[in-house]
Amino acid sequence: MKKKYSSVVLTLLAVLLILSGCAGESTSNSSSEGGSKTQINFMHWRGEDKAVLDEIIAEFEKENPDIAVEMTIYPSDQYMATAQRMLQEGSTGDVFASFPGSQFESLQSAGVFEDLSGEAFVSNFDENLISVGQQDGKQLALPYQLVFNMPIYNKAMFEELGLEVPKSWSEFQALCDTLLENGITPIAFPGADIGPNQFMNSMMMNNAPDEEIFAKLQSGEEQLTNEWWVKTLEDFQLLEQKGYIQENALGTNQDAAMQMVASEEAAMLATGSYHMASLIGLNPDLELDLLAPITVEESEAQYEGINTATFMLAVNSNSEKKEQAKKFIEFLSQPENASKYANETGQHLTVKDVNYETEELKNTAYWIDERKTRFQPRFLITNAQVEDAVLSSIEDVLGGADPMDAAKAAQKIVDENRE
Amino acid sequence: MKISKSIYLFFIPGFILYSIFFIYPTLSALFYSFTNWDGFSPSFQFVGLDNYSRAFTGDSIFIKSIGNNLQFMLVVVILQTMVALAFALIVLKNTKTTIFLRALYFFPTILSSVSVAFIWSFIYDPSLGILNQLLELAGLGFLAQNWLGNADMAIYSLAITQVWFHAGQMLIIFVAGLQAIPQDLYEVAKIEGASKWQTFRKVTWPLLAPSATIVVAYTTIQSFKAFDLVFAMTRGGPNNSTEIIATYIYEVAFRGFQFGYASAISVIFMVIIAIITFLQFKALRSDRISY
Repeated sequence: MKKKYSSVVLTLLAVLLILSGCAGESTSNSSSEGGSKTQINFMHWRGEDKAVLDEIIAEFEKENPDIAVEMTIYPSDQYMATAQRMLQEGSTGDVFASFPGSQFESLQSAGVFEDLSGEAFVSNFDENLISVGQQDGKQLALPYQLVFNMPIYNKAMFEELGLEVPKSWSEFQALCDTLLENGITPIAFPGADIGPNQFMNSMMMNNAPDEEIFAKLQSGEEQLTNEWWVKTLEDFQLLEQKGYIQENALGTNQDAAMQMVASEEAAMLATGSYHMASLIGLNPDLELDLLAPITVEESEAQYEGINTATFMLAVNSNSEKKEQAKKFIEFLSQPENASKYANETGQHLTVKDVNYETEELKNTAYWIDERKTRFQPRFLITNAQVEDAVLSSIEDVLGGADPMDAAKAAQKIVDENRE
Repeated sequence: MKISKSIYLFFIPGFILYSIFFIYPTLSALFYSFTNWDGFSPSFQFVGLDNYSRAFTGDSIFIKSIGNNLQFMLVVVILQTMVALAFALIVLKNTKTTIFLRALYFFPTILSSVSVAFIWSFIYDPSLGILNQLLELAGLGFLAQNWLGNADMAIYSLAITQVWFHAGQMLIIFVAGLQAIPQDLYEVAKIEGASKWQTFRKVTWPLLAPSATIVVAYTTIQSFKAFDLVFAMTRGGPNNSTEIIATYIYEVAFRGFQFGYASAISVIFMVIIAIITFLQFKALRSDRISY
């Protein structure tokens, strides 16, 4: 009998040891102070920027020998889901990046943003480009990257065919017709992944110039069955019916669409400036610029393109190392470090006095100051189900549905999700 | 023989683990399904049955996702069971060739679902994909499709990928079941002059019922849980045509930050799987025969 009891006790002990072993591992992971150095954690989604960030961090640690920075990187599609929990716990993400729009709203209501309003380094950023990180007059996050979510076009091809950047919807159609006559697909549209959520912005920017349009949609003041959205869907239908976008566009992913532009099979890529470096990588002879279709007459056009100030840097209000975290953001916002980041990642930044060195960045830098762009409207949809409904209506139309029917189906979902 | 009461103590470790990893999360989901918790705020309100009523009366995407899931499940269960059984009958005998073939058919099962999703997304690509190119080469270009981009076709394309991915696993279960059938029953059937079809219908299939029950039940559950494949290949699109319950739960919880509502859908999801599995077990158990 004694033997039996001792075996039961041993089994229970083994289970307890396993469980306590798990607990020990979790504690050691969350430990952040190592010797005389304070370790801060930088959480973001830009895995492709790891190499240059490693270099910048090495420089930072050289200047600040008492601070060590470790990075935690999640893929962008998992970032929204994972970041929230990590940030609340406080041990990960002393410095973190946030998307604008619904994630910023959610994190803001969870109270994880430290107010950066009084910090000197805020003045290192272009004040016109950082309003998206503000709430109730407080600067909660500082957008770092500046992306233009509008088609990239093959500039050399346009010049060769004597084409000019169109200033109206009729000019845009004439341009597409010329490209088709020359055996070139006007627009490579990655409908299987990011195409609808990127291209919708430039397609609607002048059809609905009111920047509050999606706020009004969510509050019930506006409807997707109203002219601004039905017209946008009709414009998408026209692109599909006239062959301005490639056949089977909803089955094409971004890699395949990029390949079409890199091989000069297509003239425009309906994604954004963040793909320019990759396109140059695929075909170094390409000369690229940006253009957004103007879907109205020239006199009615209010915007020339779309911008998104994103990768919003913030300090976690739950962190115990806020001062060190702020030092790191200050370091990232210094023009020489920002220039290094910009040139090695092929991104425009919201930081002032950045020295762009690569051809594609230099050639398109005029979009920052000289062109009237509008903040990406999609990011102003704060309800994910409403956003899905809006995007689904585009897919519906490209799949052959009537624009008004697609708008009605999407509006039904918007109504179901009204808060 | 009298069993000592102390033997029940051996259940405790398993029960503790089961409680932590199954009972507690299930009860948590049930609890939160009656709240409007957003997943991270410290406070929330009880909303009674509002989330359940919303799911059935005010959420057309959820209803659509149930329909998509049932469609996906039916295609996968029928096709996967048939394919696995057919291949199991082919590779039943233990020869070098059949052992090699079994390993070959089982191979997709050991791949990660994300790899499978990438491979099949490439195969299905309408312009660069190998499937349309092969159809063109075979003179069957008229069958070429926008496999994942066509809202009417996408769910079937995903179902075929799921069958390719898991049929090998089911084949092994069928092979084990077939090899357990006593050979003398086949000899008797032969002596009695039974045709091959009669032998299959009267001997093989009834005695294979326990294996078939496992295969059908497991395939059904797999079809409902095909989150990774669907998420990586279509993310529920185009136009929600491949949105299944599991991907919709993710959307609602992790993009919409409506954990309370997502929990309610999860509870409904659990009940749907339980009912379908129960009905299948009941239907297939009635086919069981022992000689």
